[in-house]
Amino acid sequence: MTDLISLTNVNKYYGDYHALRNIDLTIKTGEFFSLLGPSGCGKTTLLRTIAGFEGVSEGVVMIGGKNMAGVPANMRPTNMVFQSYAIFPHLTVAENVAFGLRKNKQMDKLQKSEAVDQALEMVGLKGFGDRQAHALSGGQRQRVALARALILKPKVLLLDEPLSALDKKMREQMQVELMRLQRHVGITFILVTHDQEEALVMSDRIAVMFDGEIGQMDDPETLYRRPNSRRVAEFIGKMNFLDADVKSVSDQITVDVAGLGTCTVNAEQAPSGIDTGKAAVGIRPETLAILFDGEKTERETIAGVVDEVVYYGDMTYYDVRIAGVDNTLNIAMKNLIGRPVLDVGAQTTVVWDARSLVLLP
Amino acid sequence: MVSPPLVYALLLLAFPLGAIVLFSFWTQNFMDVDTTFTLNNYREIIEKPIYFALLQRSLFVSGTVTFVTVLLAFPVAYFVSFHVRPDRKSLWLFLITIPFWTSYLIRVFLWKVILGYNGVVNTGLLNIGLIDEPLTFILYNVNAVIITLAHAFAPFAILPIFVALEKIDRSLLEASQDLGESKFTTFFRVTLPLSMPGLVAAVLIVFIPTIGDYVTPELMGGAGGKLIANMIQTQFLALNNAPLGAALAIVAMLCVTAISLLFVFLNRRYLRGRS
Amino acid sequence: MSLRIYAIAYLIFLYAPIILLPIFAFNDATIIAFPLSGFTTEWFGELMTTKALHGAVQNSIFIAVITASLSTILGICAARAGAMYNFPLKRGILGLVMLPLVLPEIIVAVSLLIVVVQILDLGLSNWTVIAAHVLICTPFCIAILNGAFQNLDPSMEEAAMDLGESRWSAFRLVTFPLVMPGIISSFLIAFTISLDEFIIAFFLTGANPTMPVYIWGLLRFPSSLPIVMALGTILVALSIILLTIAEILRRRGMARVGVKDKGGFL
Repeated sequence: MTDLISLTNVNKYYGDYHALRNIDLTIKTGEFFSLLGPSGCGKTTLLRTIAGFEGVSEGVVMIGGKNMAGVPANMRPTNMVFQSYAIFPHLTVAENVAFGLRKNKQMDKLQKSEAVDQALEMVGLKGFGDRQAHALSGGQRQRVALARALILKPKVLLLDEPLSALDKKMREQMQVELMRLQRHVGITFILVTHDQEEALVMSDRIAVMFDGEIGQMDDPETLYRRPNSRRVAEFIGKMNFLDADVKSVSDQITVDVAGLGTCTVNAEQAPSGIDTGKAAVGIRPETLAILFDGEKTERETIAGVVDEVVYYGDMTYYDVRIAGVDNTLNIAMKNLIGRPVLDVGAQTTVVWDARSLVLLP
Repeated sequence: MVSPPLVYALLLLAFPLGAIVLFSFWTQNFMDVDTTFTLNNYREIIEKPIYFALLQRSLFVSGTVTFVTVLLAFPVAYFVSFHVRPDRKSLWLFLITIPFWTSYLIRVFLWKVILGYNGVVNTGLLNIGLIDEPLTFILYNVNAVIITLAHAFAPFAILPIFVALEKIDRSLLEASQDLGESKFTTFFRVTLPLSMPGLVAAVLIVFIPTIGDYVTPELMGGAGGKLIANMIQTQFLALNNAPLGAALAIVAMLCVTAISLLFVFLNRRYLRGRS
Repeated sequence: MSLRIYAIAYLIFLYAPIILLPIFAFNDATIIAFPLSGFTTEWFGELMTTKALHGAVQNSIFIAVITASLSTILGICAARAGAMYNFPLKRGILGLVMLPLVLPEIIVAVSLLIVVVQILDLGLSNWTVIAAHVLICTPFCIAILNGAFQNLDPSMEEAAMDLGESRWSAFRLVTFPLVMPGIISSFLIAFTISLDEFIIAFFLTGANPTMPVYIWGLLRFPSSLPIVMALGTILVALSIILLTIAEILRRRGMARVGVKDKGGFL
């Protein structure tokens, strides 16, 4: 894959407010790329600088090898699906989809209407062309917005929180459809979302943003398993944090973890350039386990007391208190056959493994 | 985008308002304007009892009209907001606003027909036998002016109250009843305080403009029902004493503004005192 | 239930004078009082032959058309700016523009009179009336157009630009059709206000009176009162027609952008 979009040292100021800080990123042709972060982190601003609705204060935005400085939104090879969908309410569905073809001189009327039909079929709205736009449901509007953008065959499709207005079921269904659609058309998608699950499910790569900066940019698995900072780890999934003291750093790292004792981890479990001294250790709830009666393990164990039980049906989440740690450890257990749900106050044994630890600065 | 209306408002509103203030410190002798600064106009207003009497009567009429209008309008706004089906609301509002847009002069004149010696009210009451001779206290005096103005400004009072009532989250009323208030006490503890902004807007939007109406007192007020606006009009158009008219206009405006501000202030205090 | 009865009684109170208009317009007597004497269309016929009235009507229509056009244009500027942009002193500026809504009309009238006659030393004409009418109509236009513009999703124009349209063609293809009903509605309301306005026109009118000023003159002569009733009947019918069109358009505009109608002009 070749680089389609590259942003070099992009900064954006609104008066005194520094909305984008030294953004450097490249996105490849055909990639499904997500900008993930809490509201106000600058992800939508970044998307709008790529679309051409916002200029940059410093830095260069290149799309397809061309510098986009001074190129307005209507001249860029990008199209956008807006958060509100921005479906023109005074037009029919077909007129909405055909909106961007108005200035296309190569296609005659018939070709245009065929293209509209194709686009509608692609998003599952075959036969909806004559409907009035304001009578559509949320999911249907979303599909019209997709068809309207994709009919122009943009190099990049920009999606600004496209699923946030839908209910949970509809959202999950559209996630799958969007992925299938992206593979089908082969166009680069850039998705803005605040929903970490959505980003993990759909993306090839994710940039996590905080306060106008990119905190980490990686594929979903690396991002989940090897977060490079505490705030990335906190934002994506659940994570237990324990105080730690790094004793020595070589090919392997020796670290003293509060409540768990001294252990050795591989260098890849720590951010590069980690030094001896105070640090933190992160453990995902599903990498810890409770040792039920009759179960055996070869991994490390430590005694604990159940502090809180949250029953989810397929899962049970336990908060377990262990000696030498102020916070409780959150542990996720599958409710397999024969496993009881423990009561608050029960004495129990916690299983852990040094391979699942993540060292954080 | 905002500059054209702003420039227009500055040129034709702010600038003329400044001019009228300046003018009130000048004097005029027939057609010649003397531009020496003087307080003579204001002195004359203070010294001659006629102006004070007119101003007092004007403020009384405006105040009474406001009170009557808002009092009569509130139940209607409440009815439309709370008891009319949502799809019928705009029809009701439309019906309420229509008379307001139609031929002001003729509407005022028709009140003369209604309240007059041989008018609708008197012939009606005579026919029923409630009275033996036509009532005379309802035309050519302050009462007639008040009735007519209250009619003219009715929609102005209803609309802001309606808007404020519409904004009230209906679950607040349910919450109040859930917490032990009756429907009646809920009205006084929840609905009324929340509709205050609309009520205040209604009061101001009726009270301030009524001070400037000279048509109704001219047609309905008779000799004893003339108001300050008639005097301003006379100074400008008949007596050619624009500076005195300007000073009268300013004094009237100042009084109205002061009373309005006092009202807004007292209302704020009242609302804060509750919470 | 008692509230409903009260509300209906209130509506009757509101409509009482208007209901009397046609009654006396067709009444065969020069005195406007009960009892009625007989049916006639004489007064309407007399309207047709009164030359001075025709001049006044022409004047008023000229003033109303220009006023409605200008105040609608100013209203579009203000409503669009108010709905789409933030700028310094926004509240203060919009407040100043909306001020004539609460300002006593006599103040507007005398202050403009002073500026035009005493300071600029110009004569009074239809244009002085227009200047003042635009001032008082603009707030109403803004109120109506605000409804049209605030319901407009700002990303709508961006979407059009994203799909290849320029800034101007995005406005022409998307925003304009969406706010068109509001624009016509605003024009009709401003037209109605200007056509009916008397207090200011009386001060600022030139040698040719407007229709309300002419009517004011007629009110002094008892013999011409039936003609006034006939004229009033026509005017009321006309304003109701115009207002109904304005209201239908306003609602259609709301429906077009898919917004629930919350009712009312203001």
